Formats: sequence, C-alpha cells, structure tokens
Amino acid sequence: MKSIAELNASKVPLVIIDGKLNALDKVVLFPEKVEQAKKIINKSGLPKKKH
Amino acid sequence: MKLPAYQLKSSETLTSYEFVSEGKKGFIQKRIQFSLINKDEVYNLAFGDKKPATGDIDDLAISDNGDREKVLTTILSAVYAFTEEKPNAWIFAVGSTPSRTRLYQIGIGKYYNDLTEEFEIFGQLNGEWETFETGKNYTPFLAKRR
Repeated sequence: MKSIAELNASKVPLVIIDGKLNALDKVVLFPEKVEQAKKIINKSGLPKKKH
Repeated sequence: MKLPAYQLKSSETLTSYEFVSEGKKGFIQKRIQFSLINKDEVYNLAFGDKKPATGDIDDLAISDNGDREKVLTTILSAVYAFTEEKPNAWIFAVGSTPSRTRLYQIGIGKYYNDLTEEFEIFGQLNGEWETFETGKNYTPFLAKRR
C-alpha cells in the first residue's frame, strides 16, 4: 500500500472536481443534525487549540 | 496512514463529495458533505448512503459491503481535501448511532499518530472538550488543522 506522501506525490488525484455536484452544495444534508451540532457548540464552545 | 481509499468526486467548493463503495453487496453510492454550523468556521461532517430509488441520503443504512476500512479512509480523505481548501475550519463529527460514533472513534484511534501530525483532534466527554485519547468514549468529535 502507498503512504500518504506517495499518494500526494502521485499524479492520480484522489479527488476529482465534478461540476455536476455543485448543486449538492445548496442542499444541506440532515439539517436537524446541523442544528443539533450548533446547539452543542453554542453550549460548550470550542476547545482551545494548542498550536 | 495506509490507504487505499475510493476516488472521490467533489463539487468545486470541496464541500460535497460522492464516491462508490464496491464490495460483496455490489456498488453503493455514498455522499459526504461539510455544512457550515456557525461563523467560527465550524462544519458538520455528514455521511450517508444514496438510496438508488429516491436519491435520498440515508445515514442509518447498514451497507455491510465488506469495505468499512476503505470507506473510513475515504471519509478521512475528504476531510483532508476540505481542510486543505479551508485550513481554519473545525470539523464536527458524530455518528448517526452510538455504534457509528464508536466506529469513528475506532477509526480515529487507528490512524491517530498520522492524523495528529496534521490535525488537532478533540472529543467531548461529559459536555467538556478534551484532547482525543484512544480508549475513551467520546461524542462528538472535533478536528482542526494544525
């Protein structure tokens, strides 16, 4: 198996941009879960980064 | 980190992704999306199976396609790609069920050493964030590029 460094250096992209998927950006998947996540973040805040 | 991962197709913003799981049950289309939660650049990581009949995304489906590891590394690849584009983003993740949250936990733990080279990872325990440690049962998780 290849390491990340090897994959990053390879010419085969792991991600292909497909303009057909742009429409998906406009529809939020599981909005109720996004709302729940928002409540959690609003309640507990964000952790302090060390770096 | 040892891959392989499935090849991802992405929208131009790198916020919506699709890939196809190939396994013992056949081909299953999967979707990943990063949705903005708040102004602090916190994004929810959503993941699920695309229902062939309706096109709806089901985050409770149990694919049992025999490629769990590859699917997991593919999700991590999407996190890498997305945060390459948005290095200040926080990625919020929680499983759709306790067992899926546990799966995320196992996945993070398995690749922890590699992931922490580029990410700070936190888990929430009893409502408080702490730096992720293997063996603890967190829900949810947060990750941010170093």
